[in-house]
Amino acid sequence: MADLDVIVVGGGHNALVTAAYLAKAGRRTLVLERRDHVGGAAETAELDGVRVPRLADTVGRIRPSVVKDLDLRSHGLRLAAPDVRVFAPQPDGRAITLWSEQARTVAGLRDWSGHDADSYPDFDRLVRSLGRFLAELAAETPPDIKAPGIGDALTGLKLGRTFRGLGKHDSHTILRVLPMAVADFVAEAFETDALRAAIAWRGVRSSFLGPWSAGSTAILLADGAGNDGGAAGQTVFAIGGPGALSEALASAARKAGAEIRCGADVAAITSLDNRVTGVALASGEELTAPVVVSGLDPKRTLVGLADPVTIGPSMRWRAANYRTPGVVAKVNLVVDRLPRFTAAAGDDDQLLRGRILAAPGIDAIERAFDTAKYGRASDTPVLEATIPSLVDPSLVDGAPEGTHVVSVSAQYAPYTLRGGTWDDGGRADAFGDQVVAVLDGLAPGFASSVRAREVITPLDLERDYGLSGGHPLHGEQALDQFFLWRPFLGSGRYRLPIDGLYLCASGAHPGGGITGQPGQNAAREILADTKRRR
Amino acid sequence: MAERYDAVIIGGGHNGLVSAAYLARAGMKTLVLEQRHVLGGAAVTEELFPGFRFSVFSYVVSLLRPEIIRELQLPRHGLDILPLDGTFTPLRTGEGPKAGGGDYLWRVNDHGRTIRELRRWWPADAEAYEEYGQLMVEMARFIKPILGITPPDLTSLDPRPLLPLGGLLRSFQQLPERQQAVFVQLMTMSAADFLDQWFETDPLKATMSASGIIGTYLGVRSPGTAYVLLHHYMGEIDGAFRAWGIPKGGTGGISNAIGSAARSLGAEIRTEAPVERILVNAGRATGVALAGSGEEIRADVVLSSVDARRTFLGLLEPGTLDGEFEEEIRRFKFRGSSGKVNLAVDRLPLFTSLPGAGEHLRGAISFSPSIDEMEQAYDDAKYGHFSKKPYIDMIIPTLVDPTMAPPGKHVVSCFVQYAPYHLAPELGTWDDQREAFGDAVVNRISEFAPRFADSILFRNVQTPLDIERTTGLTEGNIFQGELTLEQLFFNRPAPGHARFRTPVRDLWLCGSSTHPGGGIMGANGRIAALEVLRSRRRRAA
Repeated sequence: MADLDVIVVGGGHNALVTAAYLAKAGRRTLVLERRDHVGGAAETAELDGVRVPRLADTVGRIRPSVVKDLDLRSHGLRLAAPDVRVFAPQPDGRAITLWSEQARTVAGLRDWSGHDADSYPDFDRLVRSLGRFLAELAAETPPDIKAPGIGDALTGLKLGRTFRGLGKHDSHTILRVLPMAVADFVAEAFETDALRAAIAWRGVRSSFLGPWSAGSTAILLADGAGNDGGAAGQTVFAIGGPGALSEALASAARKAGAEIRCGADVAAITSLDNRVTGVALASGEELTAPVVVSGLDPKRTLVGLADPVTIGPSMRWRAANYRTPGVVAKVNLVVDRLPRFTAAAGDDDQLLRGRILAAPGIDAIERAFDTAKYGRASDTPVLEATIPSLVDPSLVDGAPEGTHVVSVSAQYAPYTLRGGTWDDGGRADAFGDQVVAVLDGLAPGFASSVRAREVITPLDLERDYGLSGGHPLHGEQALDQFFLWRPFLGSGRYRLPIDGLYLCASGAHPGGGITGQPGQNAAREILADTKRRR
Repeated sequence: MAERYDAVIIGGGHNGLVSAAYLARAGMKTLVLEQRHVLGGAAVTEELFPGFRFSVFSYVVSLLRPEIIRELQLPRHGLDILPLDGTFTPLRTGEGPKAGGGDYLWRVNDHGRTIRELRRWWPADAEAYEEYGQLMVEMARFIKPILGITPPDLTSLDPRPLLPLGGLLRSFQQLPERQQAVFVQLMTMSAADFLDQWFETDPLKATMSASGIIGTYLGVRSPGTAYVLLHHYMGEIDGAFRAWGIPKGGTGGISNAIGSAARSLGAEIRTEAPVERILVNAGRATGVALAGSGEEIRADVVLSSVDARRTFLGLLEPGTLDGEFEEEIRRFKFRGSSGKVNLAVDRLPLFTSLPGAGEHLRGAISFSPSIDEMEQAYDDAKYGHFSKKPYIDMIIPTLVDPTMAPPGKHVVSCFVQYAPYHLAPELGTWDDQREAFGDAVVNRISEFAPRFADSILFRNVQTPLDIERTTGLTEGNIFQGELTLEQLFFNRPAPGHARFRTPVRDLWLCGSSTHPGGGIMGANGRIAALEVLRSRRRRAA
């Protein structure tokens, strides 16, 4: 008799979602987390006496069905959504501002271009319509093309119906735009470069792509799938930081009966005759279970933990070639006063509650990307910042009046640097300086307000969080690692090449970000498989 | 009353001529109208400099469909394709594994020799090359049928056009999983990422990836460029038909052969007959009106082999099409990205890495020393500049076909990437930059063959603007519309309109703006003609 029904390796948010669903269904489930707390990249940590969202900062893409099924509100999850979604100050002192309320966005855009103001509602509608289709796709397990069963046929029919439901125009549009460069996609609707950039940015965020790269439109549309994003994108905070979401998930899992062990470093996934048998911990302890679910990325799972003889050289080669070129650094800042953006004269407070974007134009993003292609960090990185303490003052409880947290995702900072690594003296700091300088250029005096700073490079993401190549999405979300072939063809249905081994996190369909969707889908598949066997 | 035709075809490029031949073969009274004095569109041979004949634009044949060669009996009409052997990638002093001086990478059709050459660079790459080559041949075998089908409209309720797709799905299912995965990668990855999985040798990857960017406004690191890597191998499976090489007498030789085949089957061909307008009556195309004379020619069906933008926005009376369709056509992207420099020289180029007039000059000479330089060339173009260090695909046709130049002299054909049609404002127009572009090309060649400039007797620079002006190809795009993922298959030229039919009844497209895209394939012209014939049969029945 095995020790457990299911062992979940890793305690990131998707792993917790899977564990909670499985435990709810009565499976004896154990979660093993290497670090001393769960959450992975959805983590609230301390910096200079205040609490900061260490990596991810917003949680608005979490699927409503996950929140509902696991009753996360009763486990303490509280969400807050400011009126403003995006504030994009420009070097010339003007700004693009996108609001939750469409009419307000349109009114503001009229200062830039009447054409764009008129186009915005239609574009917003299109993004939402295509996003709804992608959300349905995301909630389904990709069909089995090798040996399709009744279920696959039904899924196919259902998706076919949803596809037709888009109507002739939108169904033609989605086939055309998915593989498109996002720069072209936004240019079809808007003439203002600053607006194009503010929207297109979401098509390249966390990816080793520029706005002129094919397939970036798919990323933009998927970002708005299953949430209230639309053209502006979501900006929703968890009170207490993203760690609060992880805690609520862990609490739900425990309540359902799952056990969670932190400080438990899995060193190997054990198997016999191409069937998984359990895991071995770095401590030497061995645990057995007929089902092992990996919440890690596919490369780490298959190249790092699986038995090389069992998976064989060909699969190992494919797993090793799974692309994970991390390109984002995270810079967390504690400041002693709110930044004063030239473009936000007056009502700072209101405008700064959403995502603040330093991406002044399509070409500016593309040029920042260019440097990354040749293994250099950009001197003028594209930044997406939030000031969560404006929405959630509890983060800075006890700190001096005026203290705020500025959370910055800085791109492009490639994992692979020419002629050295991120550990080489001063590289990380120098990049941190560039990030502060970009913000200081838009909000003069910002640099002098910084009281504490941490720079988390892609190399840190790999070492501290176990993300291969420092990729926050567990691997590129480009067209070649998508849907049925995420992480790769033959393993796109949460089942990895060893029987009983599953993948439940961002390396599986529908991919990265805090959605809980891969975790939910994987749990459904595992339950279906184990029910059959019982 | 003027003569009446069953079919009139606008444009005497290779696709227009192929359509004409197939329609005439089926007994239709067919007329081809070509605006220029020569047939061939972008596949023409012209004597630009006394005694020197040039394939002015398109310069090699790689993909001319074997069934067309066979069915139209093109060899009987003078088609003779001379094989090009190998690809030579010269490097500069200090580059490559050779001790001391500069090196080169030279792949030839003799497999054993290529493997030995690769082993010299990096033994593991030689091994990978064999595996890779086999895989690509299998892939090409799977893809080939797609080139011959009419794309279905996925949103249509009529299931019949979906049938060939079902067949494709089944043959996909039957592939081993590894090959399925590679197929997906080919359709979605960048050429550089795809090749990175196999190879280390930079000039090898750069040279192979070059085929992925030819004629596109994309770089070797842009997703969607891997697919074209296959094309090379398609030629290989068609090898028995000698479909890869240069046509004797230049690419005009192909056009003349197809033209002659069409004539012998009964088609009529008129040159210097530019079409000004497609005549439409009550929603159906009824013929064309010529520019200048105003002559009207009536026909049951009109086929346009010119690109989608020129056909729909240039040749139709405004208001003929509904606004939404017009919008789709306006969105169809062209963005020509390549130029051509044709040179007459008094001696062969002398490369520092392999001096002498050897065999290495008889194939393609690829200026692609590294992935980075390929990508930087694209970066220039992204911001509206022609590449300072462009990728050049050089061919010296006189080495395989000495009739193209006086004895002892040579013709050098340089295909150059990138030359964006839309220049950055600070550069002005292509009329201002033509010679600067030509200089950049000669300078680039001189990096590898230092005394090259001294050998030049005559230089003809074709910028994308010149290509547009002469051949009518919108924005100088050699494929009649970018070959990006969103403009392929059922999206070419517009979603829901990929079946050669147009919203105007009896008006058909038969050029490269349709599936399966550009290149001297002839597939578009053939499938379009077959669709026209099928529809006539259906109507007659």
